[in-house]
Amino acid sequence: MQFIPEYREDLPRVERFNFVSRMTHWGHTVTFILCLLTGLLLFMDGMDWMAPIFGGFNGANMVHRVAAVFMTLFIGIFVVFDFKGIINWIKDILRFGINDIKFIMVFPLEFLGFPVKVPPQTRFNGGEKGNSIVTPTCVILLMLSGYIMWFPMIFPAGLVRISYPIHDLAMIFATLMVCMHGYLGSFHPGSGESFWGMWKGTVRKDWAQHHHAIWYEETYGDKTKDAE
Amino acid sequence: MANKANLYDVSRCTACRGCQVACKDWNQLPAVIEPFTGSYQTHEDTNGDTFTIIKFFESEDPVTGVHWNFIKRSCMHCLDAECVKACPQGAYMKSPSGATIHDPEKCIGCQYCTYACPFEIPKYRKREDKISKCTLCADRVEEGLTPACARTCPSGALTFGDRNELLQQAEARVKYLRKNGFPRATIYGKLELGGLNNIFVLTDTPDKFDLPVNPQPSATIGFWQNWVQPYFGWLIPLALAGSAMSFVTTRLLANKQGEHGHDHPVEGGHE
Repeated sequence: MQFIPEYREDLPRVERFNFVSRMTHWGHTVTFILCLLTGLLLFMDGMDWMAPIFGGFNGANMVHRVAAVFMTLFIGIFVVFDFKGIINWIKDILRFGINDIKFIMVFPLEFLGFPVKVPPQTRFNGGEKGNSIVTPTCVILLMLSGYIMWFPMIFPAGLVRISYPIHDLAMIFATLMVCMHGYLGSFHPGSGESFWGMWKGTVRKDWAQHHHAIWYEETYGDKTKDAE
Repeated sequence: MANKANLYDVSRCTACRGCQVACKDWNQLPAVIEPFTGSYQTHEDTNGDTFTIIKFFESEDPVTGVHWNFIKRSCMHCLDAECVKACPQGAYMKSPSGATIHDPEKCIGCQYCTYACPFEIPKYRKREDKISKCTLCADRVEEGLTPACARTCPSGALTFGDRNELLQQAEARVKYLRKNGFPRATIYGKLELGGLNNIFVLTDTPDKFDLPVNPQPSATIGFWQNWVQPYFGWLIPLALAGSAMSFVTTRLLANKQGEHGHDHPVEGGHE
């Protein structure tokens, strides 16, 4: 069985993500998973068996904090080296419109593999726009509440108390999105090609035309602006 | 073993701080030197190496004049302790005599208990990266002794014993004080938070001693402990199960309908 679509070098390809985006993405993948595994030790009962992997609870504590600092640093790198990329990302999220709503309406069927007709999408489709809002919001909340919990003595007690449920809720919603995102960006037969967009930076031209028609036309097309 | 408590009678206390010293001595706690702040109080609050302190409060009343209050503060040993519920490692337990004891072996220094506690009593001990607090000398009590602070108190302000008996004593004392110049004398720790194992006889209202008048467990901590932790986490296995289902159905439907994923737009990868 094929898990991820083959990387086809023989077909024409177009760039989807630049180097800084990809580095930030995979940096966050590693640090998020490390933080998640070490954090679950405290969040869930019956995870104690995992503690020795990180050198006991003290080791897990250290891994959690070091990974969190790197997670913050990757955001800093993204902001410093590709600020324009962030602005373009936000601009694309703000283009949320009728096509995105239509996408989200039919998406559950698509998710399970039923053939459906989807209107043309911009660089990020309706689902990706949702993920682009929820996951970064959760990560920012995780960071803010995390640093408050790390240095509770310099913050008011009320703020520390509210940080605990916020940290957990943000973790849950971020993990929910990460699970879906990880699956859709790899093993899902329809969207698996996007894995190469994030791994090598390019996607198949025909895939881009099919899946992100508006983005393709605007970026690589013949300037046909009536796509919307 | 019956529920044993410490009764502290403010009206009998002379603020000699013998209890502070006895506590340090028995628990082998190093001295913590804090800068002089203009008050008799030795430390701003209890800390990782100071389980018991006497707090001093000065206040002026236009009618009754200047009041100089002091109170012994340490762990309240709540009957229904929030720290026991909040600790993710199960490092807290109630001793047979009713003391709330903390096991440093299990503690990982997360400090959840500090903020779950309505009195913020458990304190972080930096040199060990662990929490520490008063044990109501559970080790001594087990051997039939009284806590170090109660044993050393020279003025009879501290009495250790059966909680119900002490409550009767405290009520009688409050009645006496009310008739003899302390009309606002009150008992603290009888009903607060469902009962404390540190019972106070106060000569004035609790707020005059920096005690919360009606202490409540934090609502945020309650929401976190009772809702977020047990229920919200199920969203994650739900997402995993959804993905697993999709993994199977997409492949089954692809076999049925031929090549899948090349003829229509679908959710893409990352942003």
